Amino acid sequence: MNYKTIERIKVITGLSAMAVIVMAWLYPVFFLLVNANKTASQYAKGDKTEIIWGTSIIDNAITAWNKGIGDGVLNSLLYGFAGSALAVFFAFVAAYGIVRLKIKNGLIWFLIIYSGTVFPFQMYLLPLFEAYVAVGIYNTKIGLILVYVGLCIPFATFVLRGFFLTVPWEIQEAAKIEGATNFQILHKIMLPMAKAPLLLVFLIQFTWIWNDLLFGMVLSRSVGVRPITTVLAGMKDLYASLDGPTILTATLMASIPTLLIFLLLQKHFIRGLTLGSMNAGKG
Amino acid sequence: MSFLNKDKNQAYFYVAPAVILVGLICIYPIVRTLVMSFTDNDGLNPANFIGFKNYIRLFLDPNYITPIYNTVIWTVFATIFPVAIGFLFAYSMQFLPRSNYFQILVYLPATVSAAAAGVLFGFILDKSGLINQILSFIGYDHLVRDWLFRAPENTYSMIGAYTWQSTGINMMIFIVGLQGMPKEQLEAAKIDGAKGLTLVFKIVIPMIMPYFVIASLLALINSFRVFDQVWVMTQGGPGRYSETLAVTMYREGFVLFDLGYAASVAVLISLVGLVFSYFYLRSVLTKEDVGS
Repeated sequence: MNYKTIERIKVITGLSAMAVIVMAWLYPVFFLLVNANKTASQYAKGDKTEIIWGTSIIDNAITAWNKGIGDGVLNSLLYGFAGSALAVFFAFVAAYGIVRLKIKNGLIWFLIIYSGTVFPFQMYLLPLFEAYVAVGIYNTKIGLILVYVGLCIPFATFVLRGFFLTVPWEIQEAAKIEGATNFQILHKIMLPMAKAPLLLVFLIQFTWIWNDLLFGMVLSRSVGVRPITTVLAGMKDLYASLDGPTILTATLMASIPTLLIFLLLQKHFIRGLTLGSMNAGKG
Repeated sequence: MSFLNKDKNQAYFYVAPAVILVGLICIYPIVRTLVMSFTDNDGLNPANFIGFKNYIRLFLDPNYITPIYNTVIWTVFATIFPVAIGFLFAYSMQFLPRSNYFQILVYLPATVSAAAAGVLFGFILDKSGLINQILSFIGYDHLVRDWLFRAPENTYSMIGAYTWQSTGINMMIFIVGLQGMPKEQLEAAKIDGAKGLTLVFKIVIPMIMPYFVIASLLALINSFRVFDQVWVMTQGGPGRYSETLAVTMYREGFVLFDLGYAASVAVLISLVGLVFSYFYLRSVLTKEDVGS
């Protein structure tokens, strides 16, 4: 055997070993898919590893949707879109003011905003609950959008500040000489250039909001307001009548949006998340 | 020249909305929680200033030894496992072509919410769940048990589920680190006869040490304040056998309405977290290529 053949055998052995390990790693996902596609009695009596070909998952999805997952999905879509979009907007404008308009003591203003990523969320919960009840926005959609906007601004500002630092100054100066106002420069020149970072931050924050459990638990109570994670976490207790496959189907439904976002963006996303996980508070 | 003709002054209008929102949602609560932790606030009666009583209670009350102990267990093992397994994945991927497909698959669990993963593992660890079925199938019936209803099995089971979710991010950190490693030095070591474990421990790990520091600190920060997984899988039970400090904080505040005491738990979590965060930010800022 020559050197090349030995190398090839090594690579194939390595790939096969890794394939087996990764399959084992994703076995819980296989368990989820297989058992979401069962009826209650098939699940209760049967083998958990057995594949049953059928369409039970559709019935399970309809049941789950009607038992609260539907509301949860719609609420979380609203919170994800509105919360993330507004946060990115405010962060974009603020980062522009800090970097491009050279606000006095810019670093201090930036650090004030960025301080929102440093403390664990346990520090926020009690006063937010107290204030939300006092102001009358506890258990309202507006209240949840507001909290997600506030929580997402710091990280978005951090990323967009990085973007503005890379834009050449000549562009801005030329536009100034042409008589453009600062807002026109932001809107007509910076916005088109910033599309990629804006979209990335938007999707990272959307994912974070979609996956958040804690603020949904603390600031909302009724099914019409609760986000998907909170509905899912309460499923076992709230609806004792719900069977395993239905809850597993609900789990799958709650995971699809963020899974799709990840598969679309992959590595860009991971790099963003590595940094974002500091304040993503997934722990 | 009026005030608004200067860019620097206009800038205040651009920065103000973000600062006001962060001030209301983040900074005000932090200050308020700190103040609360020195009171006997119960959400009903006027709160009195009681000094450090909440903190003393936290350390003396035998009921709270369990959450503190569990949090230490979590912090140690939910750091070691994800970081070590993440490194193993990253290192072995190096030798494989097209390993990016494997990377995506290993990372996949991190994209779903802790709540969803918690519910899924609730079924897997259930008394009649997958783990027990596999154990009886391979003839280990004596190991069959109610994984989430027995201490300390429940804490370790949950750390397992957590590891499944948080290994991906560590793998990605190490992949960035390994890609940036100077190849000449590695080749030189190989020519000198270093291979296998010697190569890993004597050459590779020391070379990517900064990435180990970053990954471990990030893991420490997140595992020390773990809440979602525990809440979804056991709610800290049975009793409070699997409770962590973040769960204690939630329970005291939103179930028992002992707000002052809950605030002191939050402050304790923050103080320890801030120490980790300080070192983390320092390492990241000196090694900007991670994630930026």
